[in-house]
Amino acid sequence: MAMLSNIVSIVENNWLLLLVGQYPNGPLGGIAATLILSVLGIALAFPLSVLFALATLSPWRVLRWPVMGLVYVARGVPLLMIILWVYFLLPILIGANVSGFSTMVVALVIYEAAFLSEVVRAGIQALPRGQMDAARALGHSHLGAMRYVILPQALFNMIPSIISQFVSTIKETTLGYVINVPELTFAAGQINNRLLTQPFEVYFILAIIYFVVCWTLTRLATALESWIAWRRSGAGNTAVLAATHAVAAES
Amino acid sequence: MSNAAAPSAAPMIRFEGVNKFYGDLAALLDINAEVKKGEVVVVCGPSGSGKSTLIRTVNRLEEIHSGAVVFDGQNVHAKLGGSALNKLRSRIGFVFQSFNLFPHLSVLDNVMLSPIKVSGVGKTDARTRAMELLERVGLANKAQSFPAQLSGGQQQRVAIARALAMEPPAMLFDEPTSALDPEMVGEVLAVMRALARDGMTMMCVTHEMSFAREVADRVWFMDAGRILEVAAPGDFFRTPTHPRAQRFLTDLHAR
Amino acid sequence: MKGFDLLAILTNPSFVQMLVHGVKMTLIIFAGSWLLAMTLGVLLLALRMLPAKPAEWFVEIYVSYHRNVPTLVQIMLWYFGISSLLPNGLQEFLADHNGEAVFAIVALGLCQGAYFSEDLRSGLRSVPKGQWEAARALGHSYMGAMAYILMPQAVRNAMPALINHTVSLFKNSSLAMAIGVAELTHAVKEIENQSFRVFESYLVATVLYLAFSLFLMWLGERLERRSRMAGTV
Repeated sequence: MAMLSNIVSIVENNWLLLLVGQYPNGPLGGIAATLILSVLGIALAFPLSVLFALATLSPWRVLRWPVMGLVYVARGVPLLMIILWVYFLLPILIGANVSGFSTMVVALVIYEAAFLSEVVRAGIQALPRGQMDAARALGHSHLGAMRYVILPQALFNMIPSIISQFVSTIKETTLGYVINVPELTFAAGQINNRLLTQPFEVYFILAIIYFVVCWTLTRLATALESWIAWRRSGAGNTAVLAATHAVAAES
Repeated sequence: MSNAAAPSAAPMIRFEGVNKFYGDLAALLDINAEVKKGEVVVVCGPSGSGKSTLIRTVNRLEEIHSGAVVFDGQNVHAKLGGSALNKLRSRIGFVFQSFNLFPHLSVLDNVMLSPIKVSGVGKTDARTRAMELLERVGLANKAQSFPAQLSGGQQQRVAIARALAMEPPAMLFDEPTSALDPEMVGEVLAVMRALARDGMTMMCVTHEMSFAREVADRVWFMDAGRILEVAAPGDFFRTPTHPRAQRFLTDLHAR
Repeated sequence: MKGFDLLAILTNPSFVQMLVHGVKMTLIIFAGSWLLAMTLGVLLLALRMLPAKPAEWFVEIYVSYHRNVPTLVQIMLWYFGISSLLPNGLQEFLADHNGEAVFAIVALGLCQGAYFSEDLRSGLRSVPKGQWEAARALGHSYMGAMAYILMPQAVRNAMPALINHTVSLFKNSSLAMAIGVAELTHAVKEIENQSFRVFESYLVATVLYLAFSLFLMWLGERLERRSRMAGTV
C-alpha cells in the first residue's frame, strides 16, 4: 500500500518531466523525445532500407556486397557499439559538434535500415515469381517492374512488420541513456537521483510506461496483420472494392 | 470371397446406439452395427455422410454424445483412465488419409518407435519385427529413408506397417487412398488385399468400389449420419435397395 | 588525433588483460542468461499448456511484459529497483559477489525466456494436427507424444527463430555495462579512457563481437542443417 501511494506521488510530482523532460527550460526529453527519436529513426531508415533491399536484390555485385556487409555488421554487433562509433566518428566526419539526440538518430537509422532492409527483401521475395515475370513480359525494365508492380504489393504486406520494427526502435532508444540523450529512461534516472530512496517505484513506473506504449502498438500491428490477411483473401477484396466504390461515389 | 478365415460370430467392433451432434447437425444418428472377427467391412457413402466420423469414434479420436463403441469386448467411450485408453488405442490399428508419418524419424524408426515406447518391446525385437513388416509392404529397401523422400503411396504403405507393428487385432482405414495420385492407389490396395487374405479384421472407409467388390464381406452405406444399407458387396452393387444408395452408385458410374 | 596503431593496445599487457576479462564476462553473462532463458522458455511453454486458465494468463502476461519493456529498463529495474527490496544480508552478499553480473544474468535470462517460449510455442503450433492424432492412435500418452513426436518437430521448426534470438541475447549482454558489469563494451570504454585511442579500442571490440556473432550464426546454421528432416526444404 505504501508502495502504491509512493508510485502515485512520484507520478504526480514528475509527470511533466516524464512527458517532455525539462522543456521548455531545457532540451525536450521524456516520452516526447523517445517517440520523436523513434519516429525519426524509422521514417529515415525506411526509404534507406528500400534502397538497401533493392541493392541486395540487384544483379550488380558492387551494390550487393557493401549492403550485405552492413547487414551482417548490424546483425552481429550490439547497437550500443554502433552508438559509440557514431558518437565518436560523426563529429570528426562533419567537423562540428553533434548533440546526443542527433547521434542517437543517426545510429538508429543505420541500425534499423539494415534490419528493415531484410524485412523488405523478404517481403519482395515472398511475392510470387510470376509477378516479376509478368511485368517484364509487358516490357517494364527491372527497376520499372520493382517500382510499379513489386514494391507496391510488398510494402503493403509489410505494414505490420514495420510497426513491430517501430516498437523495437522505441525500446532501442533507451540506449541513448548511455550517451546522456534526454529521453524517457534518462528522465527516470534524474528522478531516481533526486529521490534516492525509491528506486523500485521509479523504475517500475518507467517499465509500465514503456509497456503501455509498446503493447498498444503491438496490438495495432496484430490487428493490421489480420486485416491485411483478410483483405488479401478473396472475401476481403470485394469488400474493399465496394468500399472504394462507395468512397468514389461520395467524392 | 477371398478371406482365408471365415468370419466368426464374435464381434470385434460393435456400435450400440451411437449419436453425435455438431450443434443441431447430426453427425452420427443411432448407429447400430458390428464388424465380426475376421470380417472386412467397407463403409461407403457421399462425402459428409459421417463415415470418417464413424471410424474415428472407434479409437476415440472423435467423442460421441450417447451410445457405446465396443472394441474387442471393451467400451472405448466408457470412463477410462488415460493409460487404459492409451492401451486400448495401441491395439487398434489406424491408417489416416494423410498418412501422418513422423517426418523427423526414418522409415524404420517410424515403425519401431511405438512398439518400444508404448508396448515396451526390446529394441532388437522391435527392429526385427519392423524390418519384417517393411518387407511385407515391399519397402525394406527404404528403411533408412525419411518420409519426405517417399512417394505418397510408399508413405501410406509405411503407415500401414507402422500400425501393424503394434500387432493390432483389427485395422481401421480412413480413406487410405484419397490423398494419392491415381497411379499410386494400386500399390496401397494391394497391401490391403494381402492383409484381408491373411484374415485381418478390417473396417475401411473408401471410395474404391473395386476394392469393396473384391475384398469386402459386407458393405455399409451411409448418408446423413445414418447407416442406410448393410449388404454383401455382390447384392449391394447389383441391387441396392435404398434409393439414396441407388443414386450414389449411379453417380459413381457417371464419373 | 594520434596515428592509427592497433598494436598500442594489443601489446599493452594491462589492456590485454582488461580485454580478456571483458570477453570472459561477456561470455559468462551470455551463457548464464542463455541457460536460464532456455529453461524458462520450456517451463513457460509447459505451464501454458496446462488445462488451467490462470496458468495461461500468467504466461501471457509474463511474455507480454518482457517483450514490451526495453531490455535495458528490465536490467535497471532489477539492479536498482528489485535489489533494493531484498533483505539487507542478501544485498550485502550480492554486493560482495559480483551482484551486477548476477542481476544482469537474471534480467537478461528472464527477458529472453519469454522470447524462447514464444519461439517454441509457434514451432509447436506449426506441427500438423495429424501428428498428434497419429501419436494418440498408436497409443502414446500425452507426455510420450510430446516427448517423442511433437517436441522434436517443434524444436526443428523453431530453430531459425531460436538462433536469431540467441544472437540477439549475445548482443544484449553489452547492456550489462550500464549497471557497471566489466564486460567487453565496458572494458573497451575503459581502455579508450586510458589510452585515448578510441578508434583502435572500438575496432577491437567490434571485431570480437562480430566474430562471435558470426560464429553463433554459423553454428546455428550447421545445427539447423543437421537437424533438418531429410527430404524437406
